[in-house]
Amino acid sequence: MTLFEVKDLRAGYGKVDVLFGVSLTASKGELIGIVGPNGAGKSTLFGAIVGTVGMRGGSVFLDGEDISGKRPEDIVRLGLSLVPEGRQIFGGLSVIENLTLGLTGRRDKHGEKGALERVHDLFPVLTTHRDHQAGMLSGGQQQQLAIARALVADPRVLLLDEPSLGLSPTVVKDVFDRLIAIAESGTAVVIVEQRAHLVTRLAERTHVLRAGKMQATLTKEDAADEAKLAAAYFGNSGE
Amino acid sequence: MIQAILDAVSLGGVYALAALGLGLVFGVMRLVNFAHAELITVASYTLVMTHQFPLLVSIIFSVVVASLMALIMELVAYRRLRGSNPATMLIVSFGVSVLLQKVYELVFGALPRSASVATWMTGAFTVGGVSITTASVVTIVLAVVILLAMGYLVERTKLGLQLRAAASDFQTARLLGVRSNRLIASAFVISGALAAVVAFVNVVGNPQVDPRFGLDITILALVGIVVGGMNSLRGSALGGFIVGAVLSLLNVILGNGRVYAYSWMFVIVIVILLVRPGGILSKFATKERV
Repeated sequence: MTLFEVKDLRAGYGKVDVLFGVSLTASKGELIGIVGPNGAGKSTLFGAIVGTVGMRGGSVFLDGEDISGKRPEDIVRLGLSLVPEGRQIFGGLSVIENLTLGLTGRRDKHGEKGALERVHDLFPVLTTHRDHQAGMLSGGQQQQLAIARALVADPRVLLLDEPSLGLSPTVVKDVFDRLIAIAESGTAVVIVEQRAHLVTRLAERTHVLRAGKMQATLTKEDAADEAKLAAAYFGNSGE
Repeated sequence: MIQAILDAVSLGGVYALAALGLGLVFGVMRLVNFAHAELITVASYTLVMTHQFPLLVSIIFSVVVASLMALIMELVAYRRLRGSNPATMLIVSFGVSVLLQKVYELVFGALPRSASVATWMTGAFTVGGVSITTASVVTIVLAVVILLAMGYLVERTKLGLQLRAAASDFQTARLLGVRSNRLIASAFVISGALAAVVAFVNVVGNPQVDPRFGLDITILALVGIVVGGMNSLRGSALGGFIVGAVLSLLNVILGNGRVYAYSWMFVIVIVILLVRPGGILSKFATKERV
């Protein structure tokens, strides 16, 4: 059953249109990928979904409820969290203060302690660095903190914008392993990645976004075929 | 000499409170609220108009009035401007400031209104042969207590955590669930309350309240938040303190040349900003090559 649905979404900045009718769906526990070249509109898509970029048309549904045009602070309370591109952790605050801020978006205030314990289990490094300034963590640790901070809000849908950005291959593998575990726990996970190969081998479906439109939707098997993926990604036979 | 130091600390404390009020609003909105002056003025008028009441009641009235005025300012003038160019917001805040000055003129008249407020503070006492004014000691105690309370609020409470996060990156704070309307309204209310404390100390020292009463201290507090670092609440308070204390000390050191105290203070401000362009507590003090 569909938990999250984006229907014919259009968005842009000023006089420039960036997205021209984008649609996608995700079910509980699914891991969905969105890949595409620079300037395809991937971050704009997430921005429009969470309310930081104005929508110009279309709708976003979460568990059947239309959340289009709602404010970011209300959307997170409905169960949709975003881990933004570049992590955007609060470098001047401690790790625990960053996580405490993440609790602000919880619907169920009674489960705060349990939520913190769960993310500490998933990311033990955050326990070690609990009182350290977040800006002093390594890139991989900061990414883990950004994901943990979104998770403590207990989202039903977790959006991640370029989670591999600036990370070494070993750290990327580690981060993606945690994302699989998060999806297996029942959260719908939608990952935007420019480096397509990172997400295509994990995602049940991978959407290819180019020039503001969904150009193709590939199954895991289709995406494993490099020629098919390249054709969808570049819009030709891959050369 | 001791009195001069106490006066410097006392004036520094008052300017720190004024700068903190400005810094709180700047942190969450990137708005330099020039109309903060009119919050100090309305709180001062309230103290004068209610001087016949017990002092505590009069102070509570002034805190409530200034906080309400700040809230109305945010709802009516600034809410629609969120995310606008900072220059646009600054110009609007000039407009709000001038408009309110004219409203005060219509309501209270252009001539100063005066009344004796907390006359017990205008006296002096002697310690070890040194005469010390009560006002300077009370002001220092008040400033320290309020700054400690603000420190607790900012560093130890959820509201404070949200204020610090919003000052750093408001959009990300909203993505985490920080309610923008509530947070910004809280910042304005607190800045109104701080303006009322500043008003109280000023009215005791100079009970001649006119429509431009809060202007001078606000301009210098604005200088203070730039000197301390606009992106940091600690920086705002520190900058405000430095400006107030330096101005007070210059008035003593320069003797008959005190008419140049402002000029010398701005020389010091320029030197500080040349060395630390982003303010004393800013992390981004290096100059970009052009």
